[in-house]
Amino acid sequence: MLAVRAENLSKTYAGEGAPVTVFSSLSFELREGVFAAVMGPSGVGKSTLLHLLGGIDSPDAGRVEVFGQALEELPPRERARFRNDRIGFVFQFHHLLPEFTAEENVAFPHRIAGESAGEARRRAAAMLDRVGLLERRDHRPRALSGGEQQRVAIARALARAPSLLLADEPTGNLDADSSGAVFDLLEELHRERGMTTILVTHNPDLASRCDTIYLMSREGISPAPGSSGGI
Amino acid sequence: MSYETFIALRYLASSRKRAHVALISTISILGLAVGVAALIISLALLSGFQDKIRAQMALRSPHLVVSPVRGDRLDDPQLVARTLAALPGVLSAGPVIEGRGWLCDSSGRNGVPVRYRNVSEGPLRLSGEGAPPARVSSAAASRIGAETGGLLRVLSSRSRLSPLGPIPIAVLVRVAAIRRGSALEKAADLEVPEPTARLLAGLASGAQAYEARLSDPNSADAAARIASVRLPAAYRVRTWRELNAPLSFALRLEKSVIFATIALVIVVAALNVVSNIALLVVEKKRDLGVLVSLGALPGSLAKIYLTLGGVIGGLGTVAGILVGVVASLLLDRFHVVPLPADVYLLSHVPFAVHPREVFLVTLFALATAVAAAVLPARAAARIAPGEAIRLSR
Repeated sequence: MLAVRAENLSKTYAGEGAPVTVFSSLSFELREGVFAAVMGPSGVGKSTLLHLLGGIDSPDAGRVEVFGQALEELPPRERARFRNDRIGFVFQFHHLLPEFTAEENVAFPHRIAGESAGEARRRAAAMLDRVGLLERRDHRPRALSGGEQQRVAIARALARAPSLLLADEPTGNLDADSSGAVFDLLEELHRERGMTTILVTHNPDLASRCDTIYLMSREGISPAPGSSGGI
Repeated sequence: MSYETFIALRYLASSRKRAHVALISTISILGLAVGVAALIISLALLSGFQDKIRAQMALRSPHLVVSPVRGDRLDDPQLVARTLAALPGVLSAGPVIEGRGWLCDSSGRNGVPVRYRNVSEGPLRLSGEGAPPARVSSAAASRIGAETGGLLRVLSSRSRLSPLGPIPIAVLVRVAAIRRGSALEKAADLEVPEPTARLLAGLASGAQAYEARLSDPNSADAAARIASVRLPAAYRVRTWRELNAPLSFALRLEKSVIFATIALVIVVAALNVVSNIALLVVEKKRDLGVLVSLGALPGSLAKIYLTLGGVIGGLGTVAGILVGVVASLLLDRFHVVPLPADVYLLSHVPFAVHPREVFLVTLFALATAVAAAVLPARAAARIAPGEAIRLSR
């Protein structure tokens, strides 16, 4: 079954001067359970593609289906619930909420889903334990190292056990050691949970450890030469 | 606690560490507090005066008046007297005999038109013998130069038949007291004993109306309802509130105008709330995008900021109420604002805190603060999450 199917996506941003077309008629498919890396130069729309696949942005044209569900067809409430239940995001700069502790950050997906504060914290603690940061549960993001911040962000993204994880350069801001540790964690969790993972990265070593690599350019997106592709 | 409230409270608590947000939050809360306190103190001042005025109204007006719907005298005064006497809480009931005439000094050189009416003998006992006693308003007394103990002539507008034809009814009265006038009372210029009033009005028996005083003026409405049921439809029963309706209306209007005027301070303070919350929306734009990526609804983002408005409003309102109520109580308790007693009949400015008004002010301040948060909250709900995250990199 296809985890992701994007057909003829176009996206243009209204810039300060002329509108900037990020991509047009971009199509992309990925089978369920695959760990895919997306590589490409800056500015070709890798992050935008993840945002469209995750439903936090809408294409100007085209269609996105995630696990057979066309996101654009969902009413806002259902779309938000779908995102909460089935999609996890990890961003390059962790984007943890600075006023909240690690545990509170990880608990947010559960609170948004309607769980009680106590239950959400209990589950968040379990998730933090899984990423090896239980003892840092009461620390705020600024008290954590870059690698720890990103591990908390991964714990938050996986809190609701999503079927699709979208990771936008999660190691892009880390040193080599932290980068390797974060990738190891992502890979481990991917295998453990059997989810579909799309990882945007500039690091060819990390990309080579994924099931498949896609190259993205102004012309579109395609499997890297020698890569099996995600289908 | 919902997560929206949780986030709003944490944002407010953590704003202390960001000087610019903390400053604006403090200004917002202080502004609301000042507005609420000003409104409560102003209303307490008005209520203090108005309570005194109402107390005077209740003291000086008959609490119930029964008059004929048509005509100028009661058909069955005994029935009215019995009905009033049987009402619960009635202290006294008596007839009303009144009319208009001309009051002049004994020489007849100075005169003034007057309204006269009967009054119980009690207050007029100090009169001298001979001419019946009378109590004259200070306004009428000053116009004709009357002094206590002096004689005055009253000419009724009614006439009586004599062998020479109709002649005016004239009565000589002795000034027993000069009553200081008050804008609050509708008392006649000249008060005389009942027999004198009957003579002047040409009314040997019966009465033009009947009035009663109650032990509790606030029970007048209930007593009037009972009297209306027991009396025939030809009689009209009015309470002291109805008799003073124009003044009561003026007092209410005065309070409404003061409320609307001082409430502008709260509205202006609410503009600070708008800028405070708008600043937080801009500052937290990325976080809002992240929350949407986690599955939050736009409505939840709006709720965070509406809650923030409510909390800021709540803090400002509570602080304002505390300051306003305590200040009003102290001002009243320690007679902080003195008045010339001979001018105002009061030695100090009275302050009265009415719980109902405090409740209204609270409601208004909270609603204004939340309403002020609506605009930035809607902006938060409209945030494009992808853009918020993309531009924050």
